[in-house]
Amino acid sequence: MLRRLLALAASLALMVSTPVWAQEFSGRFLLETHDGKRVNDETFQGKVRMMAFGYTFCPDVCPTALSTMAAALDLLGNKADQVVPLFVTVDPKRDTKAQLKEYMSAFGPRFIGLTGTQQMTDAAARAFRVRYEIHQPDGGDPDHYTVDHSAGIFIMDRQGRLVVKMGHLATADEVAERLTQVIEGENR
Amino acid sequence: MILDRRTLLAGGLALAARPAWAVRVAQGLFVTEPARPLPDIDIRDNQNQPAGVSTWKGKPTLVNLWASWCLPCVAELPALDRLKPIIEPEGLRVVALCLDRSGAVGAVNTYARLGIKNLAVSVDYRRQAGESFGAAVLPTTLLLDSQGREVARFVGGAAWDGPESLALLRALIAGKPVTADMAPPLVRPTSNP
Repeated sequence: MLRRLLALAASLALMVSTPVWAQEFSGRFLLETHDGKRVNDETFQGKVRMMAFGYTFCPDVCPTALSTMAAALDLLGNKADQVVPLFVTVDPKRDTKAQLKEYMSAFGPRFIGLTGTQQMTDAAARAFRVRYEIHQPDGGDPDHYTVDHSAGIFIMDRQGRLVVKMGHLATADEVAERLTQVIEGENR
Repeated sequence: MILDRRTLLAGGLALAARPAWAVRVAQGLFVTEPARPLPDIDIRDNQNQPAGVSTWKGKPTLVNLWASWCLPCVAELPALDRLKPIIEPEGLRVVALCLDRSGAVGAVNTYARLGIKNLAVSVDYRRQAGESFGAAVLPTTLLLDSQGREVARFVGGAAWDGPESLALLRALIAGKPVTADMAPPLVRPTSNP
């Protein structure tokens, strides 16, 4: 009995000592690319990943995160081949594959737009602890609504493990520096 | 069609009713105190000739930062295009600086699509403007005095050829101090231009 209690206490201690981050962040996803290919986190095994969540229809102001990501890749030169830049829409209703494809092309040929059903998108957002909220329109055009979302640039290593989430004000230099560290294996 | 967003408070407004975790971006007019010189980044025209900060000195300048992938930016370009012939004879230079990765191609294509006639092509050649000028969102419009120093900036879209904007820009031309209560109303696009 005592042994069982000790074992229980030990496992509880283990649970408590596990960082909240590790518990909640799985980084798993199953989505479709803007070219209609079904992909998951394992698809990009062996590549460093840089990922952002957002939506292409920014009604007031548009964050420059994707632009920063593109500039960071340009700073990497040849090393950029080792990085997959991903953009997950949290607005799959409006961000069709065609719309995503066109949007991605503004940032460079490497960028992959990811979308899916509402369920798939919700699951991906949960796996990255990204929250978003759709504000229904007041009236008029039913397609005119805004989406709030938590911003930032996720960098994952070649095994898909999260290395860092950079804030939405990170500069291209800072992103490029972190990517270089991960590419060269200095991240841990 | 442009719909006024008359929720602007003097000096800008953090978007109301946003949950705490969401990105908060204050929009509206912000006075830059004290006025600060802009870093001289590599800006070129559509002939690939230098068209940067050092060429803007000598008269007040409006510099609008935009990109073809930014819907509210594209939506306000026609107003800037109408503004230019009104305000340039009065002494204000109007610059629309394109941050597109494709450079002049993106700017030229967007101008053609929108029927832009007056704005010249200016390209942020090394895509440094966002960082160097401290603009985390687009559109952002910088107002510079005749020494090329930023005296104010407007974050978000505006009806640049509207009466409030003209009053603000005429104050800038006259060398009067720009104050937060001079903000033109924010506008947002209601459909894809």
